[in-house]
Amino acid sequence: MMEGLIDIASWLLHPAHWSGPDGIPARAWEHLALSSVALLLALLVAVPLGLLIGHTRRGDLLAINLANLARAVPSYAVMVMALPLTLSLDPRNGLTIYPIAIAMVLLAIVPILVNAYTGVRDVDRELVEAARAMGCTESQVLRQVELPLAIPVIVGGIRTAAVQVVATAALGAILGYGGLGRHLIDGIARREYDRLWAGVILIAGLAILTEVLFADVQRRLTSPGLRIARTGAAAEASEPR
Amino acid sequence: MRHFRKLALGASLLALAISACTTGGGSSPIKIGSDGFYESRLMAEIYAQVLEANGYKVERNLGLGARPVTAAAIESGQIDLKPEYLGSGLGYYDKTKPTGDPATNKKELQTILTGKGGGITVLGYTPGQDTNAFVVRPDTAAQFNLKKISDLTAVASQLTWGLPPECIANPLCGGALKDAYGIDIATLKVTPLGACDAPIAEALNSKAVDVAELCSTQPAIAQFGFVSLEDDKKTQPAENLAPIVRNDFLVKVDKAAFSKLLDDVSAKVTTEVLLQLGVEVAVNNKDVDKVATAWLKEQGFIK
Repeated sequence: MMEGLIDIASWLLHPAHWSGPDGIPARAWEHLALSSVALLLALLVAVPLGLLIGHTRRGDLLAINLANLARAVPSYAVMVMALPLTLSLDPRNGLTIYPIAIAMVLLAIVPILVNAYTGVRDVDRELVEAARAMGCTESQVLRQVELPLAIPVIVGGIRTAAVQVVATAALGAILGYGGLGRHLIDGIARREYDRLWAGVILIAGLAILTEVLFADVQRRLTSPGLRIARTGAAAEASEPR
Repeated sequence: MRHFRKLALGASLLALAISACTTGGGSSPIKIGSDGFYESRLMAEIYAQVLEANGYKVERNLGLGARPVTAAAIESGQIDLKPEYLGSGLGYYDKTKPTGDPATNKKELQTILTGKGGGITVLGYTPGQDTNAFVVRPDTAAQFNLKKISDLTAVASQLTWGLPPECIANPLCGGALKDAYGIDIATLKVTPLGACDAPIAEALNSKAVDVAELCSTQPAIAQFGFVSLEDDKKTQPAENLAPIVRNDFLVKVDKAAFSKLLDDVSAKVTTEVLLQLGVEVAVNNKDVDKVATAWLKEQGFIK
C-alpha cells in the first residue's frame, strides 16, 4: 500500500511527466479545453431554454423529461452511437473530438436546464405579480426580477454540470482524444499502474478544483441583497429570545 | 408460445440435470468467464453449452473485461475457466516468451500457469488462430503498393496509424515494428485506439487512420474489404485458443472426460470457423449464445 503510494507520488513528481505532448500540463490543457467548450455549448442551449420554460411554464414536462432521458444514456454509449455519424461528417475530428464532445454536452445540459427552469419557477409569485403591476414588460420581469433571484440556483446547476463534464472528459481517451484520461487509459493498457492512478488523482483533483471555483463564482454572482437577507435572517433566528 | 418455450427449455434442462447424475458432472457449478470482446465470449459460450449438454452446471461471467481483469479473476478463483489466446496469454506473464509455434506457446503458458492461483491447466488448443494484423484500406494498398508489413517501412511517416495505447510498450506491437521492420512508432502520427474493436475498424474505413491493428479474424476485414498485410518477418506469435481451467475445479470432476469433451470441440475450431461465426455475431448481429448453439448442433456436439 505504502509502496504503491510512493510509486504514484514519484510518477507525479517525475520531471519527464511534466513536459512534452504527453506531459501533465499538455494533457490538463486538452482536458480543460474540451471541458470548457462542451460546457459553453451546453450553456448556450440550456440556459435560454430553462429561463424560457421557467418563465412561461410551458413545455416544462416535455423539456425536463427529454433532458432526463438524454442523461439516462451512458456517456460511452452516446459516443459509440455518435461515432459513425461524426466519422462520416469529418474523418479527423469525427473520431477523437466530436463523439466525446457530444456526450459531454448532453451530460451538461440536464443539470443546467433543470436548475434554470426550477430557479425561475420558484421565484416568489408575489414579486413577479408586483413587477407586472408596476408596468414591467415580460422581458423586464424575466431579466430584472426572476433572473437575479434565480442566479444562485442557476449557477448551482452550472457548477454540477462543470464537475460532471471534467470527470467525464476522461472517456475521450478511449477514442483517441488526449486529456488526462490518456494517462488513465494508457495506464490500464500498458499495466503501468502508477500512471493509471496518477491519471485518476489528476482528474479527481481537477474536478474538485472545478467545484471549488464554481462555488466561489456562485457566491460572487449571488445578489448582495439576497446574501444580506439570508445572513440577516440567520442572525435573527440565532438571536436569544 | 413464449411460455411454452420456457417450459420446454426447463424440461430439457431438467432432463439434462437428471442425466448429469450418470455422467458425473458434479454438483458445484463451473464458473466460466471471458474477455470483453465477442470472440472470447463466443468461445466461452461454446464451451459452456457443451458442458451443459453433458450434465455440468454452468455459471456464466462472460465479457468481464481485458486480460488484466480476467487473469486476476481466474487466479483468484472468481472464475474457473476462460478461453485464452496462447500467444497473448503467455505474453501477459512474460513478454519475451511468445513464439510462432502454438505447441511451444502452450508448454510455456502451462509452466507459468502451474504456479498461478493454486494451479491452472491449459487444455487442448484450436487449430484456428486469431493473430494481430496490420491492416490498410484497399485504396492505400493500391496507392503505395502494399502487400506485406515491410512495404510500410518506406511510407510509414506519410500515414496515420491507429494503434492500441499499449503498442509502444508492447514488444509484439511497437517492438516488432521497430526491431523487425524499422518502423519507430514514437516518430509517427498515431491515434490511440483499442485494437480489434469496432471503433478502430470504423476509423480505418472512414479514413481517420490509414493503418490499423486489427485481429485477423475480425469480421470488419471482410465487411469493408480491408487488406491484411503479410507479417513477412514473422513477428506475431501463434494465437490459437485454448480453455484454461483451475485445478481445484478439475479435481472435483472426471478430469480425463472433462478434457476430452472440450478438446474435441476445440479441434473443430479452425480460423475459417472463427471468421464465419464472427460475421454471424458482429455483422449479422445475432446473439452469441444462438450462434454457438447453431454451430454446436451442426457439428453434432449437442442435440
